[in-house]
Amino acid sequence: MATINRRQFLRSVAAGASALTLAACGSGTTTEPTAVPTQPAAATTQPTVAPPTAMPQGAMGSTVEITYWGSFSGVLGEAEQATVEAFNSMQQDVKVNYQFQGNYEETAQKLTAAIQARQTPDVSLLSDVWWFSFYINGHLQPLDDLMAAEGVKREAYVDVLLNEGIRKNTVYWIPFARSTPLFYYNKNAWAEAGLEDRAPKTWDEFIEWAPKLNKEGRSAFAHPSAASYIAWLFQGVIWQFGGRYSDPDFTIRIHEEGGIRAGNFYRDTTQTYKWATTPKDVTQDFVTGLTASAMLSTAALAGVEKNAQFPVGTGFLPEGPAGFGCCTGGAGMAILAGLPAEKQRAAMKWIAFATGEEWTINWAQRTGYMPVRKAAVQSESMQKYFAERPNFRTAVEQLPKTRPQDSARVYVRGGDQIIGKGLERITVAGEDPAKVWMDVKKELEEAAAPTIELLKTVEG
Amino acid sequence: MREWYERLLFILLITPNMLLLAAFTFWPMIYNAYLSVISWNFLSPIRRFVGLRNYETVLTSDIFRIVLINTAVFTIVSVAVTMVLGLGLALLLNQPLRLRNGARAVLFTPTVLSGAAIAIIWIYMFDPRFGPLAQIINWFSSLAHLLPARFSESGLVEWLASVRSPQWLSDPNWAMSALIIVYVWKNLGYAVVIYLAGLQTIDRTLYEAARIDGAGAWAQFWHVTLPGLSPIMFFLLVTSILACFQAFDIIRVMTDGGPVNATNMLVYHLYERGFIQSQAGPAGVVAMVMFVLMLILTILQLRFIERRVHYS
Repeated sequence: MATINRRQFLRSVAAGASALTLAACGSGTTTEPTAVPTQPAAATTQPTVAPPTAMPQGAMGSTVEITYWGSFSGVLGEAEQATVEAFNSMQQDVKVNYQFQGNYEETAQKLTAAIQARQTPDVSLLSDVWWFSFYINGHLQPLDDLMAAEGVKREAYVDVLLNEGIRKNTVYWIPFARSTPLFYYNKNAWAEAGLEDRAPKTWDEFIEWAPKLNKEGRSAFAHPSAASYIAWLFQGVIWQFGGRYSDPDFTIRIHEEGGIRAGNFYRDTTQTYKWATTPKDVTQDFVTGLTASAMLSTAALAGVEKNAQFPVGTGFLPEGPAGFGCCTGGAGMAILAGLPAEKQRAAMKWIAFATGEEWTINWAQRTGYMPVRKAAVQSESMQKYFAERPNFRTAVEQLPKTRPQDSARVYVRGGDQIIGKGLERITVAGEDPAKVWMDVKKELEEAAAPTIELLKTVEG
Repeated sequence: MREWYERLLFILLITPNMLLLAAFTFWPMIYNAYLSVISWNFLSPIRRFVGLRNYETVLTSDIFRIVLINTAVFTIVSVAVTMVLGLGLALLLNQPLRLRNGARAVLFTPTVLSGAAIAIIWIYMFDPRFGPLAQIINWFSSLAHLLPARFSESGLVEWLASVRSPQWLSDPNWAMSALIIVYVWKNLGYAVVIYLAGLQTIDRTLYEAARIDGAGAWAQFWHVTLPGLSPIMFFLLVTSILACFQAFDIIRVMTDGGPVNATNMLVYHLYERGFIQSQAGPAGVVAMVMFVLMLILTILQLRFIERRVHYS
């Protein structure tokens, strides 16, 4: 039997390590694509739904188990878990198996892999920038008939929130954890600077205030990174300066005058005025007093109020030269296409519960997300809560002034990160917005092309 | 008959390994090559053959140029620092010092820790306001006034007193340095242990012979230790370069490839293309580029560097 010498051994070690490296690197893109979507073009599918009769308690016979993929941890995760437990304990027809999948991005990435492996959950939480990708590729179940069967009416939901999940007059995505950006401020810092106890009405006003708030060890304001959704917060700002990311038909507009003005303003905050920073974690910096104010999601409210060692104030986003601008955001629930009818009914029963009046109130009060039902907003419980915790009222009052986000961020795959990385170049590296936006425009147009093509096939 | 039996035994013995390699190495590689020439978003039933268009898109993009430069800088600096520092520490720990075994264990510990956990700890270490590194820098800065008066005329005291921690993870000029520090810290112990094993295989009589010939410490190191360690150094070089090419976990947790792509490297870029932008084709191209680069590196190392390696 031949023996190998050290030279041969080293060679085989090197070759083996190289092969393993390649296998590890390649695995991300080589998921076996065995699955073909079970439903073709979503808008044209006929859902296989049970007859539209309301299900009484126990009418399904034995318990139907469904799997629900969620994306929340910390305070939000506890609230979500409590909702699942309440549902499971209050009835016997449906048992929800709750599985935490990581943040919005990780949940969507895992769902993509799950679709390829034909191992999907029955219901998944999907963020504003992800649900459309699953819809347009035919992976989401049309929900109107299921809603009717469960006695859930469209009109019961806050219009601006439900409308975002409707395509071709069919509901695919039901609002659950919906938010808007708010202006958060540290009341102690405000008092120290001799400012009125309110958020600035305009950015011009804040430009006057900021130097008084800025001091050694504390910035007046902070911007997040691309990974922390700066493009979501900038959506309102670009509107406030008279620009937009794109038109609904995916014509990119970010490079136009309004976008450049908004970009220049953002660049000035870090490069010229130098009262804004770009920390790793804006929420943490705000809570620890390292920044006096920031735009953060309503969903951060419960955590911020719990952890901040100072009184927290919230207000509407400041207005820009073109007036007010603010978008909605967050996540909703969707049912995966191709489930057996009994699973579909069970899935809708769960969604109806989680987004129903009682539990949307519970969820909103525990987290800071907005109640998604009209009746919940007006309910005595919510009104009493608003009176006790006025910061929670800000988002609901701001909601009627919000509008859906531009297609380039929410419908173009990767659009959020393309814009976000452009904003990093402007705020962190101080690059010229005119040049950055031209690069971003090119990238967005390339990324949008497949979506436009697919949309024509799906929606005509 | 015996020959037939030996052939059968040979096939039986290699079959399990070959099956595993085929399933988990060769098939993914072939499939990846296929992905690199199609247009597909992982979700659609439609996959379109686009030839070399994905290659053109990726290879001519500005971001890919940045990614290649970042990967090269990261690899060269990390590997060089780890190997040089590792050698120095190994030589030190090879001496009969007190607490030597404890020091070896402490040095090796980071190697076995999870990358994600390390990254979270280092985010705090690098925090420019609360982090231990910032505290140390501030402490040194506060000592500036203790310098003799003649330094204050040159402005040195004022400059030292004003020194503050860099914004390690949010400044594009510092983020790469921060990552290199973490990777060197993580991999240093491994290099030291491998070097120590190598040092113990060098024949002691060679040192005795060198001493008799009048060789000093430096000459012994240069003419005995280094040649004796060369197979180990070669092994470390190969494995370290391959490990650097795979860097992902710590980048994902600490910087997400940012700020402004300052730490965006090959595997992260592959992840970004594939999982964030759902572009199977361009992600496949990045994987193919990695394959080719590593193949070239491995061939170069085997052809040229190994020739200079001394084997006992």
